[in-house]
Amino acid sequence: MEVMTDLFGKIFGDGLSPQGLLIAGGLTMALVMSLVMALCAIVFTWAERKIAGFIQSRYGPMRVGRYHGVLQPVADMVKILGKEDIIPGDADKPLFMLAPLVIFIGSLLAWAAIPFAPGFIASDLDLGLFYIFAVSSGAVAGILMAGWASNNKWALYGAARGAAQMVSYEIPLALACIPVVMLTGSLNMNDIVISQQGGIWNWNLFHDPFLFVAFVVYFIASIAEVNRGPFDMPETESELVAGYHVEYTGMRFAFFFLAEYANLFLVSCIATAVFLGGWHPVAGPVVLPGLAFVIKAVLLVLLQMWVRWTLPRLRVDQLMHTCWKVMVPLSLICVLGAGIWMMASGELG
Amino acid sequence: MTQYLRDIYDAVFSAFKGMRITGKHLVKKPVTLQYPDERWVLPERFKGFIINDTTRCDGCLRCAKVCPVDCIYIESVGKGKDRYMHRYAVDYNKCIWCGLCTTECPTEACQHSLDYDHALYDRKRLVYEFVDPKHTIPCHKETRLDMNLFVPNFEEEKAKLKAKRAKAAEKAEQAKIDAAKEKADADKPAEPTTEPGPDPEKGE
Repeated sequence: MEVMTDLFGKIFGDGLSPQGLLIAGGLTMALVMSLVMALCAIVFTWAERKIAGFIQSRYGPMRVGRYHGVLQPVADMVKILGKEDIIPGDADKPLFMLAPLVIFIGSLLAWAAIPFAPGFIASDLDLGLFYIFAVSSGAVAGILMAGWASNNKWALYGAARGAAQMVSYEIPLALACIPVVMLTGSLNMNDIVISQQGGIWNWNLFHDPFLFVAFVVYFIASIAEVNRGPFDMPETESELVAGYHVEYTGMRFAFFFLAEYANLFLVSCIATAVFLGGWHPVAGPVVLPGLAFVIKAVLLVLLQMWVRWTLPRLRVDQLMHTCWKVMVPLSLICVLGAGIWMMASGELG
Repeated sequence: MTQYLRDIYDAVFSAFKGMRITGKHLVKKPVTLQYPDERWVLPERFKGFIINDTTRCDGCLRCAKVCPVDCIYIESVGKGKDRYMHRYAVDYNKCIWCGLCTTECPTEACQHSLDYDHALYDRKRLVYEFVDPKHTIPCHKETRLDMNLFVPNFEEEKAKLKAKRAKAAEKAEQAKIDAAKEKADADKPAEPTTEPGPDPEKGE
């Protein structure tokens, strides 16, 4: 936010009080972040369809826009804007209308602590990582609200599954980040990124074997956290139709979609900042830090899409088995191992 | 415990295996065609929609008679030299693309085209008219010659075909003799060759 407040300070001089500066800067950053979210949805829907197409030996969208259907998301958006906004007769109206916003806001709030570049962070919180995990779990409430308020058995099934899954996978997700926090000695996202400067071998990913395993655990848990294949139990289009958003149409559905793709990018951004050196390039001096960050995050997103179109969906019991019997113990071992490694290598002060 | 570890190992490595396969497909060229822009290269004998070349057609009605579903409508007026065809229509609602009319046609006017995608909103429009009733087609050979329309030279064609068949038969005979000779050379129990020689039609 400092970037924005400085900018406004320069533009308005003494015309704005410190509080006014803070509010103006905060609102601008919020706007920027929601634009980033919208951009994610636009770019990644297209990318997802193209990747799905190529993996299945076909082309995906090709008609809209001159080159490989690049304007397909725009066409989709126009179509979705023209849709009727349906609220089922027996639905719980206030909850039904609120649910997409809860999910969207839960996603937007988490963007506040993502360090895209030095200084370019909406809110440089000392508890950044903790804050991200805290607010992004608010999406569970949104999913439950959507499923319950739809008054539809598929939606309720999806919501119940989604809640169980997200609550479960939050634990390995956070535990996998603990070794990094131990190593850095800080929950501040900026500090975590700065501690990894100086080439690829200084990234947390390659610090020690336990951190590498922690990254793998984080990656798998993050796929489950954003409800995508092979962990898309809340949606399961072949059995629950569309899961918790089965009754939603038009713009309300678009909000779910937006939040899904924004979350996809969000977890990749967190992985980039925590494990993959944030804005630091693979080698050499830091040039275009924001670009390096975005490239890493986008590559992770593409990897997630690749996984989605490769692996079949897990059963519900397999899902829970994977979480509680494999990933939680594994991440605990990582925490323990990383601690021992730090003690043995004398990094523990 | 070993089973537990093996399960983890299997899960991770089978996932990698699958990813490798999908990764290969990811970089491969897609197998689908961009249909309206790109099309199949159709085989020469593709059985598309029946078309009739009215400059060749002499309205002999053979196609209409042989058609098992009666989908060809031919209407003509007059007799002998004054016979004119004023309608040749194919009803694609009925057509079963059997191709009997094309084999029956003496002038090769009735042919399969390479068209296969005529999607229409109205079934009535699937009856294709080939003759403009205002410009009727003469059916008699001499009139057609006068009008410079296509007249097949049956005699010449027949002679050519005969010569070709004779040649092919000769060849087959020669091949038979050669085969018999070879067999005799191989010093095997002498049995009359029961294999048929190469198809005379194929020899062309």
